[in-house]
Amino acid sequence: MATTTTITEPVPIFKLAHRYLLYDVDVVTYLRREHNIAGVFIGTLPQASQQNVFLGLPLELMPEEARLLVEKGAAHIVDDVAEHKQNFLAKGLGTEERKAYQAALRKQGLGAAKEASKKSDEKKKNALKKMATENWNDIPDDMFDSAPRRGRRAPQAKQEVPATSSDVSDEETLFASSANSFPASSIISRTASNASTPGLEPYGVTPTTSYPPLQALTIDDGKKDELPVVPKSYPVYRHLHDKGYFLAPGLRFGCQYMAYPGDPLRFHSHFLCNGMDWDQEFDLLDLVGGGRLGTGVKKGFLVGGEQPSNSKINESKEGEKPEVRTFCVEWGGM
Amino acid sequence: MGVPDSSKTAAPPASALQKCLDAHPLPTDSPHSSDFHNLALQIAHNLRYQHQWSGVRLHTVEPSDKSRPLPRPMLSGVPPNRLYVHPDEQIELLQIQKDEGKTGMPDLEPHREWVLPSHLREKWTLRRFGEAFDAIERSPADTEGELLFDSQQPEGGEGNSKWRENLPKRLLLGTLDDDSTVVYYIVHDGIVKPRQN
Repeated sequence: MATTTTITEPVPIFKLAHRYLLYDVDVVTYLRREHNIAGVFIGTLPQASQQNVFLGLPLELMPEEARLLVEKGAAHIVDDVAEHKQNFLAKGLGTEERKAYQAALRKQGLGAAKEASKKSDEKKKNALKKMATENWNDIPDDMFDSAPRRGRRAPQAKQEVPATSSDVSDEETLFASSANSFPASSIISRTASNASTPGLEPYGVTPTTSYPPLQALTIDDGKKDELPVVPKSYPVYRHLHDKGYFLAPGLRFGCQYMAYPGDPLRFHSHFLCNGMDWDQEFDLLDLVGGGRLGTGVKKGFLVGGEQPSNSKINESKEGEKPEVRTFCVEWGGM
Repeated sequence: MGVPDSSKTAAPPASALQKCLDAHPLPTDSPHSSDFHNLALQIAHNLRYQHQWSGVRLHTVEPSDKSRPLPRPMLSGVPPNRLYVHPDEQIELLQIQKDEGKTGMPDLEPHREWVLPSHLREKWTLRRFGEAFDAIERSPADTEGELLFDSQQPEGGEGNSKWRENLPKRLLLGTLDDDSTVVYYIVHDGIVKPRQN
């Protein structure tokens, strides 16, 4: 079955606090399918943030992955902070758009408040009914309907706020918890300041997404996108990626990348990769350690770098990037 | 008893390794320094007497162009068993065995391998690996270089398979430490998928 959504390149990569993030699951699957970019899921559930075995959106890309996609023209970088400042603070958004957005937020907040108040009323009723059936006959009748009570309560609270806020908050938590996720004092101040307005105060809604109303558009002004800053190992990353390998961060094996011959869900990785400059000095102990670790986990240890072309024939013929050369190290078994 | 008279006692006999070093002094016209020469000899000694290699040879010039010296003296030799089997070759061999109703790996003729001597205290760069690989050919010839030890058994290792011809160059990196431990690692000049030991 074909996917219902189509992805048009270049896709936006959101840059936030020097991280490159993707929020759209369609984009994530598209990049994985078409560009061999797997990335790392970093999103947890708000209710179980300690659970980090199965993570979800957003997807974080390594700078190398972002750079590669930008160089290929498959993606462009959106500076999320600058974009928000421009649109929400510097009036980049049109007046009507802004009003419509605010109205939508208000409506959403009001809906949430209504829902919460309905729920709490019901809860209270049920609780009191239960108490009544257990022959607690000394409960006054008017406790069963809560609506007038709230009206009465508010002006009273207004007078008492400075003096006996502790009593009030106690009672609030016991009975009138129209918004039990707020601290009691804030409820009082809200109801107090808006005592004249009938009905409910809409909840303040924190939007979980700002696209829309914002749009991550490409500005095709001929200006080249700023390329993500990448470490020295980028040539090796690109070389292996061009050969069809999927590359994942190599922290688990103490290297820079792990190279999978196909999708990491289907294959074990083949190589532990380190990239460096052609003339960068390294200890043989690093090579021995990497080779030994790699062999221990049935992988090869791969080091590589860009070999500067020394012959002029090559330069004039290709006129582009120097060749990347890699070396694979395995234990000799003796 | 008492304090030994230093004038009368002779020096202790030279060790086996020292005899080997003495027997192969650095030629006066050598382009290489004596420490690289002795390093190669020590690793050759280790290969011959610890790992039972045969036909260990010392190479000082490029096989393709005898006028150019190697970046450092290198060795070649024949291990007692095949040192390296590519995973795809292994699959092919096992398939043949299965078709013939046998199990396990067949006995394989060993191949002559390049050995690159190095010391753990050296700093290495990718450039030096590149130069070492550029200087050698895919498989070392068993007629070039200087034979260091008397060959005990007939040198095996010819009849290179298509696997040797089609894979990138490889060499064995022998790394010596101060306590005379030598570790050996296979290095390939390119991307070669790992063995599934």
